[in-house]
Amino acid sequence: MSQIEFKNVTKEYIPGIKVLDDVSFSIEKGEFVFIIGPSGAGKSTLVKLLLREEHPESGEIFFEGRNIAEITPDEMPDYRRKIGVVFQDYKLLDSKTVYDNVAISLEVVNADEQDIKRIVPNVLSLVGLLDHASYKPEELSGGEKQRVSIARALAHEPDVLIADEATGMIDPDSSDEIVEILEKINSLGTTVIMATHDQRIVDRLTKRVIKIQKGKLVSDKEGGKYRA
Amino acid sequence: MPKMWKNLKHYLKKEKLMSISQFLVMTVTFLLLGIFIEVVAVSQTMLKYLEDQTQITVFFKDDFGEDKIFPFKDSLATDPRVLEVNYISKERALEIFKETNKDEPVLLESVSASILPASLEIKTKKISDLEPLANELQGKEGVEEVRFYKDVVDRFRSTSNTVYIIGFVLVAIFFVVSYSIIISSLRNVINSRGQELEIMKLVGASDSYVKNPFIYQGVFFSLISSVAASLIILLIGLGEDKSGVFSEGLSLGFLSHVFINPMIFSLILSFILILSGFLLGYFGSNAAVKKYLKY
Repeated sequence: MSQIEFKNVTKEYIPGIKVLDDVSFSIEKGEFVFIIGPSGAGKSTLVKLLLREEHPESGEIFFEGRNIAEITPDEMPDYRRKIGVVFQDYKLLDSKTVYDNVAISLEVVNADEQDIKRIVPNVLSLVGLLDHASYKPEELSGGEKQRVSIARALAHEPDVLIADEATGMIDPDSSDEIVEILEKINSLGTTVIMATHDQRIVDRLTKRVIKIQKGKLVSDKEGGKYRA
Repeated sequence: MPKMWKNLKHYLKKEKLMSISQFLVMTVTFLLLGIFIEVVAVSQTMLKYLEDQTQITVFFKDDFGEDKIFPFKDSLATDPRVLEVNYISKERALEIFKETNKDEPVLLESVSASILPASLEIKTKKISDLEPLANELQGKEGVEEVRFYKDVVDRFRSTSNTVYIIGFVLVAIFFVVSYSIIISSLRNVINSRGQELEIMKLVGASDSYVKNPFIYQGVFFSLISSVAASLIILLIGLGEDKSGVFSEGLSLGFLSHVFINPMIFSLILSFILILSGFLLGYFGSNAAVKKYLKY
C-alpha cells in the first residue's frame, strides 16, 4: 500500500477547462519527491487536492490506503495534522513571535502547555532558529520566515511534509538552506513532497521528479532532472 | 475558558466603539422586550379592574316604588348571568351625590332625595353578558333608563390591543437589529482574523476550536445585555411592589384570576430575558460562523 495515491484525477475550476487531467501516481512512505512544472501547470492544485481543500471532478486520492473523499468533517483535523504544509508566502502571523507562530499548531489541538514548551524549542532548533524565538516575522529574512513555517509544519510530527513553492520568494543561498532542512527532515523518515519550478534545486538533488504540464503528468522519473 | 476571556478582552480593547454600540442596542432590545411584557401585564390588570367595575345601572321611574323594585331585584338575582345586585334607594343616592359633590354647596342645596331616582347596580359574571342584559332591562316596566359604560371597556381593550401590536412590532424589529449586529460584528472579527483562521485550519484545528471563540463572543454580548436589561426590569418591579399600586398583584391575560406579586413577576421576566439573551446570542453567532467561516 502506497502512502499517497492519485488515481485518474481530473480537476476543473471552470467547466471544460481541466487544470489536472487524468493524473495518476503514487508515493511511498519516506520518499522525497519533486513535483515540477511551469506556473499554472497544476502543481498547487495537486497540493490543494491532497489537503482536501479542493475536490476532484473525477478520480480518487488515497492517503495511507483510505480514499480521502470519505474523510468526514470530524476526521478532517486529524487528517490535516498528518500533513504539514509550507507555503511560498509563509503564512505567518505578523502579530505573533516566532515561538507563538510555531506553538499555534500545537495550541489548536489543545496540547499540554508542558508539551508545547518541549516541542517548540526542538523544532526551532531543527530549523536553526532557536535564538530567534522572540523575534516577530517582520524582523526575519525571507529564508528565516520560511524556516519558521517549516518548524510550524513539523510541530505535530506529520507523516508527510508538503513544500508548495517554498523557495519561490527567497534568494538562492536561503533556498539551499531550506532544501537542506527538508532533506534532513526526510532522512528522519518523513515523506517530503516539494512542488517547485526551481530548476537549480531539482537538478542538484537528483530525487524522484514528477513533471506536470498543462494539467497532464508528462513524466515520472527517479533521479530525474528538470529538463530531462 | 481562559482563552475565551483572552479573545474577548482583545476584541473589547480593539473594538471599543463597536462593543459599546453592540451592548447598548442589545440592552435596549431586551429592555423593550421586558417593558413590552410589563405593559401587557399592567394593561391586563387594568382591564381586569375595569371589567370588575363595569356594571349596569337601572334607574326607576318615581312612581315605581320599593314594593315593585324589590321583587324586580329578587328575580334578577336568580338570573344565572348575574353576579351581584345592589339596591340604591333615593336616600342612598343623595348620600352618594353629597359625597361626590361635597365641595359645591350651592349644587347640594338645590338637590333633595325626591328628585334622585332609585336604582339597581347589577354586575354580571361575564363582561360579555352586560350588553344583552342591559338590552333586556331597557323595556321592562318601571324602568326609566339603563346605563352601562360599554364604551370605556371597549376603548381600553382596543387601546391595549394597539399597545400589544406596536410593542410586538418594536420588539421584533429590535430583535432583527440585534441579530444583525451580532452577525455583522462577528463577520468583522472573522474577516480581520482571516489569515489566522486559515492557518489554524491548515495546521489541523478542529471545527470547535475555530468556531467556539466566536460563539462565546456572541453569547457574551447577548447575555451581558440581557442581564443589564433584567436589572432595570427588577428595579421597575421593586418600584411597583413598594408603591403598592398593584396591591392584588399583576394579572396575566392567559391565566384568568391569577395575580402575581410585581417583584416575583419581574424575577420571572428577568429569567425570560436572560434566556432570550442566551438563545439570541447562541443562534446569532452560530449563523454568523456558518455564513462567514468557510470550513
